[in-house]
Amino acid sequence: MSIREELHDGQARARWYLMDGLISVKNRLPVDTTALSDRFGYALIAPGLLLVSFLAVGMGLLVWYSFLTYDSIEIFVYQYTLANWERLLNTTAFHTVFFRTLLYSAVVTVGTVALAFPYAYLVVRTDRPIFRYVLLFGLFVPFFTGVIIRAYGWLIVLGKNGLLNWALGTVGIGPVAFIGTPVAVIVGLLQYLIPFAVLMLTPAIASIDSDLERAAKNCGANQWNTFRYVVLPLARPGITAATIVVFTLSMANYSIPDLLGGGTLGFAANFVYNKIFGTLNYPFAAVLCIVLVAIASLFVFVVFKRYGTGTLGVEVSEE
Amino acid sequence: MTGLVRRVGGDHPYLTAFALFEFAFLILPSLIILIVSLGSNQIITFPPTELSLKWYASLLEQSQYVDPFVNSVVVATFCTIIAIPIGVMTALGLNRYDIRFEHGVQIYLLLPFTVPLVVSGFILLILFGRIGWIGDLWAVGLALTIINIPFMIWSVASSVNAFDPTLEDAAQSLGAEEIQTFRYVTLPALMPGVISGALLMFMLALNEFIVSLIITTTVTETLPVAIYGAIRGNISPQIAAVASVYVVIAVAAIVVADRLVGLERFLHS
Repeated sequence: MSIREELHDGQARARWYLMDGLISVKNRLPVDTTALSDRFGYALIAPGLLLVSFLAVGMGLLVWYSFLTYDSIEIFVYQYTLANWERLLNTTAFHTVFFRTLLYSAVVTVGTVALAFPYAYLVVRTDRPIFRYVLLFGLFVPFFTGVIIRAYGWLIVLGKNGLLNWALGTVGIGPVAFIGTPVAVIVGLLQYLIPFAVLMLTPAIASIDSDLERAAKNCGANQWNTFRYVVLPLARPGITAATIVVFTLSMANYSIPDLLGGGTLGFAANFVYNKIFGTLNYPFAAVLCIVLVAIASLFVFVVFKRYGTGTLGVEVSEE
Repeated sequence: MTGLVRRVGGDHPYLTAFALFEFAFLILPSLIILIVSLGSNQIITFPPTELSLKWYASLLEQSQYVDPFVNSVVVATFCTIIAIPIGVMTALGLNRYDIRFEHGVQIYLLLPFTVPLVVSGFILLILFGRIGWIGDLWAVGLALTIINIPFMIWSVASSVNAFDPTLEDAAQSLGAEEIQTFRYVTLPALMPGVISGALLMFMLALNEFIVSLIITTTVTETLPVAIYGAIRGNISPQIAAVASVYVVIAVAAIVVADRLVGLERFLHS
């Protein structure tokens, strides 16, 4: 026997011993593993539930904090007050930021889903493997390159000495200040969110039977009508999921408004961050956080009620 | 041109042209970082006058980037390692067993998605602060697992859904023990979901920014936080060299993902 064969043999034997050991341990356990099947399910999901409970418990903690009294030295004192909630009504700066956040997010959501749809459609429907690979590459490079790196890339593209101004300069158009404009923020958000939208749309589009599209065409529908009356309605679960994910990610974004907004176009997240680390006003930050969560949940809830959970739910086979 | 587009895109020439335009839009920021990082001037110039690798060479001597990079890798590894068993268990538990309030459990598990990241960061800052975990690197990893765990659960769940449970019955009727069935039948069938989920968790943790910004200290600072701090100062080509490490890792991850499970796999999770 060669050394390699012997080694392989030894490994196989070790694996069998290990497996036998495990089985004998299992058989000696005081519990009957076949009988506890149902309760075993709860044991399986327990770690996952425990992990998420950090956020659930934290939400409760935020509600509690929102009623505590802010103190500039102690951060907060354990004295209950409604002052933080009243402040929410009186802080016009926050109303401005909040309105901007929602407005931009709405624009970006519509734009992202509109741009992602044709992309997702081609990813699913193209019959050229190379083209599909190119599209997937364009999808995953940004997805796997974090938001900070991409915002930085846009700074180089849109900056005063950036690529775009260099290109404009060669045709004689003077430097344009893009950073700090709504355009820069929206472009940055679009590029950040399109991959998420495509990932939400593809399962829905993939589940549309392509024979239906062919049938529509055979019946005389042109490409637009096929899209309008066959593809679009059937892709609705994907559109629902994409809308939810894109809107919630957009309205909670911090880095793109911060870096591409030039410090003047901050979103709600930037406002919250400044309250946490600028003035250390934890109680008021907690109020703002609760409002953010409430808006996001309300949006999700309304869309779910109206259009169903789309492709978002963890699918469970019905038995 | 239309001929070329037609050859690439099949029967959707205009759609194809549009998608290629979008491809350029999506890839532009990453590409520009790579190009700029190869310039040799102190400030960023277009087009780069001469190519050099000097910014990359200068990085290795600077602990301001090396330490956060190591931190990021440790955090992402920790996050991936604990997410794998939790994802597999949760997906199996939800799919195979009668769980009461199953719908409610699913909505509960979506909490990391519905809570905005800046809020999650604040929550974890308060909670970890109270427990005394701020300043521990593993706690950063735990935080990133908490906010990204739905990706892992979905990814494995899609494999569980596609798996035919009668294969397990077959194995057991052939005399396989429960553990053996799990090890040699169930687990291999779940592998594509586990691999794609693990890769997602690793990449998301490596890149995560806002939660890390909130809960890291100077000791536990991760690379995106360090880069953010540097960009606010200036946009030198040296930062482009640091940032391009991410672009290279992203491309490598795509190649690995394509080899291991196929990129299409990620579209089903």
